[in-house]
Amino acid sequence: MAAPPRHATMLSISNGDKPAQAQPQTQQTTLPQSPGLRVPSNRKTIYDRHLNRSRNAESSRASFAFLFGEMVTYAQRRVTGIQDLEKRLNEQGYPLGLRLLDLLFYRSTSTSSSALSSSSTSSSPPNRPLRIITLLHLIHGPLWRLLFGRAADALEHSVSPDTPNEYMITDNDPLVNTYISVPREMSMLNCAAFVAGIIEGVCDGCGFETKVSAHNQPTDLWPSRTVFLVRFGDAVMEREKVLERSGVK
Amino acid sequence: MPSTDRGVFSLIIINKAGGLIYQREFQAGLHKLSTNDYLVLAGTFHGVHAITRSITPKIPSVQPPSPATSSPSTTAPAASSYSYPNPGVPVTGLDYLETDKFRLTCFQTLTGTKFLLFTDPLTGNVDTIVQKIYELYADFVMKNPFYQIEMPVRCEAFDRHLGAWLRGRA
Amino acid sequence: MSSNKTSRIGEEIWKTRVDKVNAELVTLTYGTIVAQLCQDYDSNYQDVNKQLEKMGYNIGMRLIEDFLAKSGVGRCANFRDTADMIAKVGLNSDTLKGARIVDISQVGFKIFLNVTPTVTNWTSDNAQFSLIFEENPLADFVELPDDGRAQDELWFSNILCGVLRGALEMVQMQIEAHFVSDVLRGDDTTEMRVSLVRYIEDEMPPEEE
Repeated sequence: MAAPPRHATMLSISNGDKPAQAQPQTQQTTLPQSPGLRVPSNRKTIYDRHLNRSRNAESSRASFAFLFGEMVTYAQRRVTGIQDLEKRLNEQGYPLGLRLLDLLFYRSTSTSSSALSSSSTSSSPPNRPLRIITLLHLIHGPLWRLLFGRAADALEHSVSPDTPNEYMITDNDPLVNTYISVPREMSMLNCAAFVAGIIEGVCDGCGFETKVSAHNQPTDLWPSRTVFLVRFGDAVMEREKVLERSGVK
Repeated sequence: MPSTDRGVFSLIIINKAGGLIYQREFQAGLHKLSTNDYLVLAGTFHGVHAITRSITPKIPSVQPPSPATSSPSTTAPAASSYSYPNPGVPVTGLDYLETDKFRLTCFQTLTGTKFLLFTDPLTGNVDTIVQKIYELYADFVMKNPFYQIEMPVRCEAFDRHLGAWLRGRA
Repeated sequence: MSSNKTSRIGEEIWKTRVDKVNAELVTLTYGTIVAQLCQDYDSNYQDVNKQLEKMGYNIGMRLIEDFLAKSGVGRCANFRDTADMIAKVGLNSDTLKGARIVDISQVGFKIFLNVTPTVTNWTSDNAQFSLIFEENPLADFVELPDDGRAQDELWFSNILCGVLRGALEMVQMQIEAHFVSDVLRGDDTTEMRVSLVRYIEDEMPPEEE
C-alpha cells in the first residue's frame, strides 16, 4: 500500500519511542546515537533533553499559519487538481499522525517525574486502542487537545446501514483553516486534508487501516466547519466483529 | 466596543505600485463610483502622496557636535548638508484630507501599502480603526496562501472579519 | 545597545498580542515540510537548502506585515529611539542600520518563535553580525538523516534565513543571511550570520519586481 514508502523517506524526527526503549539497555551516560552522527560536545541532542520539555511550550499561531500556508503553496505548484492537492496535504500530515501517536501514549502513561524509567520497566505496553470507538475517542479528545488545545466538536457514526465503517469527526473551526480563504473556483478544497492525514497516520499507527478525508460543511455560525470522514477498511471491520464477540474493550 | 462604525463609509487599499487592490463600502445604499473611477482615485492619490513626501521642506543640517566620538574619518558630512526637520521622525506623505462632509485618512505601512479610510469628519478613533484593519489584513490576507502579494484582495475571511468587527461584533 | 529595551518590547508583545499555538505543532509541521523537500529533491541537500530559503523569503514578505501590525513599529515610537541615539550619542549611521536590523530580528524571533537569539560578533564596520540561537523550536527533537551527507550539507533551519531576508527587504533593508553552524550538525552552537547589503534610505518603497 501507500504507507511503507512514506515511512521510509521520513527524516528521523524522534518522538521518543526509540530513545525510551533504548534507554534501559544502555547506561545513563552512553548515548544511543547512530554511530555516524556527530553530536555537540555540550550534548544538546534529542537523547539528552527531556521529551516533555516542549509539552506546554507555546509558539505563535502566526508561525504555524505561515509554515502551513507555504506548505500549501509549495504543494499547489506540484499538483494538477484539487484532489491531487488534498492528497499531497494528506501525505504531509500522515507522518505527524504516526509520531503523535507515540507521543500521546508516552504522555498518557508517564504522568510524573519517573517518566522514563517507569515506562521502560512496565512490561505492559501502553493502552493502545483495540476497538474503533476507543481509537476515535483518542483522536477526538487527547489528539485534538495536543494539537489544537481543545477537543473536537463532535464524533458520530454513520446512520446509513450501507456504511457502518464510516465515522465523522467534526471541527467547527479548524485551526489550520483560520486564515485561509479558498478561491471560489476551488470551493471543494479543504486544506484540513492535512489534518485528515494526521488522523490517518494515528489510525494506521494503531493498526486500523483507514482512509480519512476533510469536507466543508459550513453553517452560518461556523463558516469553516469541517467534517472529517473516517472510513475503516474491511479487515478492520472484520476484526471489530471478532473482538466484539470475545468481549474485548 | 462602542459603535465607532457609524461614521465609517468605505475603505480602499492601494498596493506599492499605486494599484487599487481592495475597495469596499460599509454602509448600505452608499452611492458608488465606477470601478474605473476607483482605479483613477487610487492612482491619483498614490501620485499626490508621493509628491507630498517629496515637497517636505529640508533645512540645512546642523551637524550634531559629535563627529569626534563617532567617525575617525572626517569625510562623511558632504553628502548630507540638508536634512528634514526632526530627523528622528520619518517623512510621511499626505496623512489626512478633509472636507465638510468627509475625512479621508491615509495610513501607509512601512512596506508601502496604503489604507485609505473614508469616514465622517466627526468619527473618532480613526487611528484605532485603521490599526485594526491593518491587523485583520495581516491575518486574513497575508496568511492566506491563495492570496498573491500585490494582487487584488479576494479573501472571503477578510471581508467577513472586517465587516463583523466594524459592526462591533467581533 | 538597546537590547534590554528590545527584549522588553518583544516580551510585552508576546504576552499580550500574540495568539498562541502548541509549539510541537509548529515543530512537527516544519519537520514534515523539510522531509517532503528531501524526498522531492532526492536528498540533494543543496537544493533543499535553496528551496527552504526561498520558502522563507516568501513567508518573510508576508510576515513583515504581521510584525508591523502587531509591534506597532512605524506608528508608535517604539523603535525610533535608535534614531534618537544617533542624534544624542552621535553613533554613526552604520551603527543605526545594524541596530535597526537587530531590533527587528530580535523582536521578530521573540514574537514568532518565542526565542531571543543573542547578538554577537559584529564586524568593525557594523555591517555584519551573528545571531546565536540557544533554543530553536524548529529543530526540537530533530536528528538529521545518518547518510554521511546531511550533517555536512543540509541546513535544517535554513527557512529562517529566507524569512529574515524577505521581511527586511520589504522595509527597504537588503540583507544576506546564512547559517555557519548548527547543533544538528554536531556543532556546539546554532549561529546565523547576517550581513547588510544595502539600506535604502528615504526612497520611495521599491516598485514590485
